Amino acid sequence: REERKAKRRRSRWGGDEKEKTFIPGMPTVLPTNLSKEQEEAYLVQLQIEEISRKLRTGELGIPLNPEERSPSPEPIYSSDGKRLNTREYRTRKRLEEERHHLIQQMLSLNPDFKPPADYKPPIIRVSD
Amino acid sequence: PGLTMVGGAGPATEVLCLLNMVTPEELRDEDEYEDILEDIKEECNKYGVVRSVEIPRPIEGVDVPGCGKVFVEFNSIIDCQKAQQSLTGRKFNNRVVVTSYFDPDKYHRREF
Repeated sequence: REERKAKRRRSRWGGDEKEKTFIPGMPTVLPTNLSKEQEEAYLVQLQIEEISRKLRTGELGIPLNPEERSPSPEPIYSSDGKRLNTREYRTRKRLEEERHHLIQQMLSLNPDFKPPADYKPPIIRVSD
Repeated sequence: PGLTMVGGAGPATEVLCLLNMVTPEELRDEDEYEDILEDIKEECNKYGVVRSVEIPRPIEGVDVPGCGKVFVEFNSIIDCQKAQQSLTGRKFNNRVVVTSYFDPDKYHRREF
């Protein structure tokens, strides 16, 4: 226990009180009278908006401090020697997958949901 | 999805519910759960006296009510309001923290 405490990383809280995320049209204070379904749909939508914003602006949330980043996998290079699996590429891919999952969840909650304009479902190859 | 957020937060109480903050997967791990609890207590203590914290953890094969939410009971409504103002919209584990007040009676009956 002591040893674990000593190794403990920084707090999971990001930034300070002034560093807040504002998502247009999506307040982060909820009324107390929402149904379970309304609450779930709202939280899923909030996450979709948040990921979409990251993908659009390129602010992917990659820590500036390399020590806070996760270990990288073995590099993969293209035939002309460019690295393919860069951190940015891997982060974008993970965010796209996360968003796809959330959009599927949203569509099951609300079939009329319109996914963001820049969303493309992953291509599933069907061979006949 | 047709959800209009008019009417604001509703009446303040001394129990703050924090949403979009933890996932059941994170809470399954004992060390991670302890760390999360500590991070939350430490931060909330800056805004007032924390009386109790409840983080419903997942149980295999059971639909645990409130799992994925964090409940913090403060000594007073004022402290709870201060905490809400400071914490809402902040990032925790890279997710945007969403807050709402929670009915203290329900909290004490553990009706999450």
